[in-house]
Amino acid sequence: MTLLGSGIFKGMAVTFRNFVGSYFHRERLPTNDYSWRTEGSLPQHAGDYPKEEGEQLRDTTTVTNYSRNFPMLLHDGSEPMDTIRCVACQICERSCPPQCIYIEKSTEKKEDSSGKMQFYPATFDIDVSVCMSCQICVEVCPFDAIVMNSQFELSTPNRFGGLLLHQGDLLKSNDYYHKIHPEEAAARDKRIADEKTAKEAKKKAAAEAAKKKAEAKAGAETEAGDEKKEVAE
Amino acid sequence: MSLEPLTLTDILIATVPLMLIFATLFAFTTWLERKALARIQNRIGPNKVGIPCTRIGLFGLGQPAADGIKMIFKEDIVPRGADRLFHLLAPILALIPAMLVLCFLPLNFPWIKNIQGLVKPFMLDGAVIFFFAITGLNTLAVFMAGWASRNKYSLLGGIRAVAQMVSYEIPLVLSAVIVVMMVGSLNAAEIVKEQADEYWFILSPWGFTAFVIFFIAALAETNRSPFDLPEAESEIIAGYFTEYSGFKFALFFLGEYIAMFAISGLAVTLFLGGGDGPGVTMNPEDQGLATEAFPGLSAVWFLAKIFALIAVMIWLRGTLPRLRVDQLMGFAWKFMLPLSILNILVAGFAWHAEQLDNTIITVITWVISFAVLYGAASGLNQLNRGKVRPREYKYAE
Ligand code: SF4
Ligand code: SF4
Repeated sequence: MTLLGSGIFKGMAVTFRNFVGSYFHRERLPTNDYSWRTEGSLPQHAGDYPKEEGEQLRDTTTVTNYSRNFPMLLHDGSEPMDTIRCVACQICERSCPPQCIYIEKSTEKKEDSSGKMQFYPATFDIDVSVCMSCQICVEVCPFDAIVMNSQFELSTPNRFGGLLLHQGDLLKSNDYYHKIHPEEAAARDKRIADEKTAKEAKKKAAAEAAKKKAEAKAGAETEAGDEKKEVAE
Repeated sequence: MSLEPLTLTDILIATVPLMLIFATLFAFTTWLERKALARIQNRIGPNKVGIPCTRIGLFGLGQPAADGIKMIFKEDIVPRGADRLFHLLAPILALIPAMLVLCFLPLNFPWIKNIQGLVKPFMLDGAVIFFFAITGLNTLAVFMAGWASRNKYSLLGGIRAVAQMVSYEIPLVLSAVIVVMMVGSLNAAEIVKEQADEYWFILSPWGFTAFVIFFIAALAETNRSPFDLPEAESEIIAGYFTEYSGFKFALFFLGEYIAMFAISGLAVTLFLGGGDGPGVTMNPEDQGLATEAFPGLSAVWFLAKIFALIAVMIWLRGTLPRLRVDQLMGFAWKFMLPLSILNILVAGFAWHAEQLDNTIITVITWVISFAVLYGAASGLNQLNRGKVRPREYKYAE
């Protein structure tokens, strides 16, 4: 039997570690001090906000490896639409609490990066004015196709269309993912690779078992055939 | 002791400093809370507002002032269908009882000595009862706010608040009963004196149990997390606060924090020895006033203890998720209520054992009562344990 209330104390120990740790380890903080950058490096007008992902990445003073903002879609190769991981299964669309994802499934299949025929999203929109950055879409996606981006300077002078991110805005390469969240991306890649090898091993085993079974069956059939012949004689 | 009416100066001496001190402490506490919660979540917290027109941040200590200015200048919006009068009265009614009970905390401020009347404010016989009677009004204010706003979320918040506050008031009062039994008086100053003479009640098994029950119920009474269902932002927007803005909202906020101070103050009085501490001797002849190493030391001890309790409240808020309504009610009626009733019985036996004045018997009583209370608590915990299911994803896999 555990001590009464030990769960609460364990939780309090965790928060206490965070409380003290945040004073001593800067890398714990998900965001760094941003607003007191020198006057010259601040964007002056809404349109000036750096739209390019590279520009924000170079500015390591503002974003750390643990910050997250809105989701992005991953692709594996150089041609985003040919190697998109998303198969338009729409699980994320249905799981999203504020319903800010809109997906239209393609009508015909297309080869994905591994050469398998798959559906792909004809439309994939996320309304970032509604998204609450909960990461549930990331958790439920069975294809590791959607992960969190840390790009945050999304201000736009157009308040209606400008905050609706389309497929083109959302698609980011796996390399980019490795750059912004190195640990998380490495862990994810490792898991995918492990799953793949496990699957292949299982497939191999299954194929072998099927082969054996087939052989056994064939053997049994020939025997049975022999018996029948005997009976017929 | 003949009752002499307090003069107007006496009343001003007793109340005005209290209001100023606690309003300042309120501002400081909001800053402290935001800072601590931020650090718990690995954020920095307010650190910009310091001295105006400069970049001197002072760790964001100017934040409460900035918040106050913002609140005062914000537009005060009253919904069209709302009952204007009660919409206005609710925040005031939330603040008044909280402010009122502060007078009955045995805080030995040096200027209390200047009061001419024979009776010092906190020497009221029955201060504990008065305290509970007045804080009970808070429920009314919350429901008034919920009802007068004419908003579904507000009404839901108000209903939740009434259910919660009424349920938790029972264990709250029952755990205070232990102390009253032990001391044989409802007078706050005498309770403190008794603890200074013998031991702080939190150090005995029944006192500790009562303190834990009292503290949990106090969290629920003041709508603090994890019992903040009446104002759950993610479920019912902000409950009864939904339709409040500007200064009325600030009043509610102030009332809530003052209520936190008041109830922590009562906990300190009942269980943590009040203003007792190193350098303070409680003087039985002097109407509960203390002899101190330097004037105000006992008040400093008292406030330090209050802040220790508030710090734990903030820490808990950063740690625990909000309860569900059924868990909340189940906890009050199926766990806290039986335990506090059992605790009263245990404390009764223990009191009689202590009257024998025999060290061995006292020690045995303490061990037995500790075992009984711990056994009862874990038994109740096992009985109430629900079945826990792993999280289910609705669409995936
Ligand atoms: S992102 Fe994942 S969950 Fe969402 S539609 Fe694509 S594959 Fe399905
Ligand atoms: S992060 Fe949450 S709110 Fe945003 S798209 Fe994903 S599921 Fe929806």
